[in-house]
This record gives sequence, structure tokens and C-alpha cells, in this order.
Amino acid sequence: MNLDFTQIVPYIPFILKGIGATLQFVSISIVVGFILGTILAICKITKVPLLKWLADAYTSIFRGTPLILQLMIIYFAVPQLTGFDITAFVSAVLAFGLNSAAYVSEIIRAGIMAVDKGQTEAAEALGVPYKSMMLNIILPQAFKNILPALMNEFITLTKESAIVSTIGYLDLMRRAQIVGADIYRNFEPLLVAGLIYWVMVFILTKIGGLVERRMRQSD
Amino acid sequence: MIKTSNLSKTFGKNEVLKGISTTIEHGEVVAVIGPSGSGKSTFLRCLNLLEQPTSGEIHINDINITAGKVDKLKIRKNIGMVFQHFHLFPHMTVLENVTYAPQKVKHLSKETANKLGKELLAKVGLTDKEDAYPNRLSGGQKQRVAIARALAMEPEIMLFDEPTSALDPEMVKEVLDVMKDLATTGMTMVIVTHEMNFAKEVADKVLFLDGGVLMEEGDPKEFFTQPKTNRAKDFLDKVL
Repeated sequence: MNLDFTQIVPYIPFILKGIGATLQFVSISIVVGFILGTILAICKITKVPLLKWLADAYTSIFRGTPLILQLMIIYFAVPQLTGFDITAFVSAVLAFGLNSAAYVSEIIRAGIMAVDKGQTEAAEALGVPYKSMMLNIILPQAFKNILPALMNEFITLTKESAIVSTIGYLDLMRRAQIVGADIYRNFEPLLVAGLIYWVMVFILTKIGGLVERRMRQSD
Repeated sequence: MIKTSNLSKTFGKNEVLKGISTTIEHGEVVAVIGPSGSGKSTFLRCLNLLEQPTSGEIHINDINITAGKVDKLKIRKNIGMVFQHFHLFPHMTVLENVTYAPQKVKHLSKETANKLGKELLAKVGLTDKEDAYPNRLSGGQKQRVAIARALAMEPEIMLFDEPTSALDPEMVKEVLDVMKDLATTGMTMVIVTHEMNFAKEVADKVLFLDGGVLMEEGDPKEFFTQPKTNRAKDFLDKVL
């Protein structure tokens, strides 16, 4: 078997820097996706037809086209249209955040629909305004129910983040490829990158479990 | 005072309320009874606009709450409601359930709301449960919390939608006792119920609904001993 890990030892710090690069834009994308997804979900359940239509159209577009295409449109095509250059980092955050919002909005919508209608009625009967009712009563219960699905989405996003390597962003994946090209050995750097992705997802899963347990306090 | 005139409600093609006109005086305890599907609950739910009446009017303290542009939240602040299935907020403790609306809607400080909440929980006999979550409580305890939660808004009117129908038989009394106490305080109460003895004992007036029509209304003693209509007679024969 032709395996030699000694050659990539000098490159380890270079690869490890990719963790920060990946985590940075993934975490911002998750936040963007989560906030936008929540807003979209609320638009989907309102009685205002226009908002509903817009949110549905948004989801249809971002779920209906490949993520890598969205990324490329933002990174390569937007500058062509506007004349403004966009950094790989901003492109990545936008593509992943906007794309994730479409999926998150569907998850949250399902979560809201699953909350007993009586909760809304009880809040209404007490004279609680819509916004407070959503924030304090409906969404906390919805989030508790959808936490596993939401964690799944975040994990997918973390792993799919590797496609930013295609626009030259120096994330974990891109760094592994560069090292591979440098030392003419691909298996070792890719294995190291794979291991790091796995550890990141493992930690994310643990955090999810922790949050879930905290939210189950009232059970 | 609640006054309904020709109150009607239709769900699709189903006419659930067919022109209910009645008056409920300030401080009166009214039991709404009738067979299932008679429109009792819908009638009650119209009073705080959880259901929007299809036609007719509801006046509360001489304000027409069915007129086009009304502030539903403002109206509901003054009307407490207790549901058959409690609908406590499961992610909040008992005390939080009771103090949430006073803080959010009436903007009471947390201290004031907590003080009020603890008083009310003492009143319904649940002081030791204030930090428990609802799913640790029995049905009777849940319903008592729900009553305390509604009272925390200090409403003028309380609506009860079959408050004991989802309870195990041995828990019915504890809830009815709380309601009896409340009735003696001069609270205006409208109670949809199947507890005929309670209606007989506590109510000042009985409304008998059948098929969306107010068939009879009047003094409980008279109603239960000498109902005027055959429908009421049939109904009472079945349930008593």
C-alpha cells in the first residue's frame, strides 16, 4: 500500500487554518439562513396572499436549483451584471445563507403547524398581540419539535460547504486539494480533511443533543 | 353587560347559530346547556370573537364588538376564557403561565405580576406547584391553573367552555369548587357545561340551546323542574 503521512506533516498547519475559514462562513450562513428562514416561515403562514406567494416562490427557486449554480451566479455572474466585485467569502455566506433559508423555512413552517391550535386560541383569548404570541408561545414550542430536523440541516450545510472550494475560497476542502497537488499525493490530505469534517459534525451533533435536552426540561 | 342580538354563525353551509338574542347582566352567572352540536361552544366563542359572527351584533358594556373595525385584543383583555382542554403553555412553569399575559399585555412589572400570580395560585390552591411544568399536573390542577391564568388579566367577564368535560370524575369537584368561589365574588360568568347539578346550584340563569336556537332561558329552578319546551324536557330526561 502506498501511504505516507510523513510528507503532509509540514502542511498540517496550513490545512488546520481551513477549519477557521470553513467555520467562519458556515456559522454566519447558519445564522443568516435561520433568521431569514424564520421570517419566510412566518410569511408562509400569514393570511396575506402576496407574502405567502413571495415566500413560496423564494423556496421554489432556491430548492429547485443546484447550490453550486447559485454560488457561481453570485460569485461570477453578479459582478458581470453590476460591475462590483464580490469576495469569495461574501459570495459563500450569501449562497449558503439564502439557500439554507429555503430549507429552514419549510422545517419551521412544519414546526409551527404542528403546535396545537389551542395555544393560539389561549394566547388570543388573553389578548396577547400576534408578535408576542409568535415569539414567546408558538415559536419556542415549534423549535423544540423541529430541533432534530434543524440540526440535520446545519450538518448538511457544514458538509456541503466544501463546494466553496470551486470558487477558490481557501476552506478546508480547497486546502486539502492544494496540498494534494503540492506533494502529488491525494489520499493523505483528503483523509485528514475528511477526519476534520467528521469531528466538526460530531461536535455539532453533541451541541444539538445538549440544546435538545435543555429544551426538554418541561417534559 | 353582554347583549347579543340575532347572533348567527355559519361554517360553510352549516348554520350553527340561528339568531341568538339574549342579555347577560353584570355579575350574573349563566349556564349554557344543550345537546352536543347545539352551538353552545360557538356561542361562547363568539363572545370574545374567537369566532367571528356571520351576522347579528354583540354589545359588551354598550360597545358593539361586532362593528367592522374593533380592537379585538382590547376587548379580549376584559374577557377571560377557560377551555375544555386547558391549553396551558407547556414550555412555561405554572407561575409563568399565570404571569405571562399581565406582563405582556398589561405591562405589569415582573414583581407585580409574580405577586398577583402567587395570590391567584393560592386562591386556586396550587401554591406548591408554581415552579412545576404543566405536564406534571393532573387535569384538575391544570384547569385550576388555567382559571388563575385567565383571572390574572383581571377581566370583568369569564367564559368557561366545558371546563370539566375533559377531567377524570374525581377531579371535577375541585374545579367546580373554584368556580363556585368565583361566582360569589360577583364575576360575570358564562359557562357552557354538562354539569346539571352545578348549573342548578350556582347559575342565576340558564340558556338552553338546541340546533343553534335559544329554546329557553330563565331561572334554573324553574327550568330544571318545569321546562317549557318539549325539547328541553327530552334533554333533561336524558341527562338527569
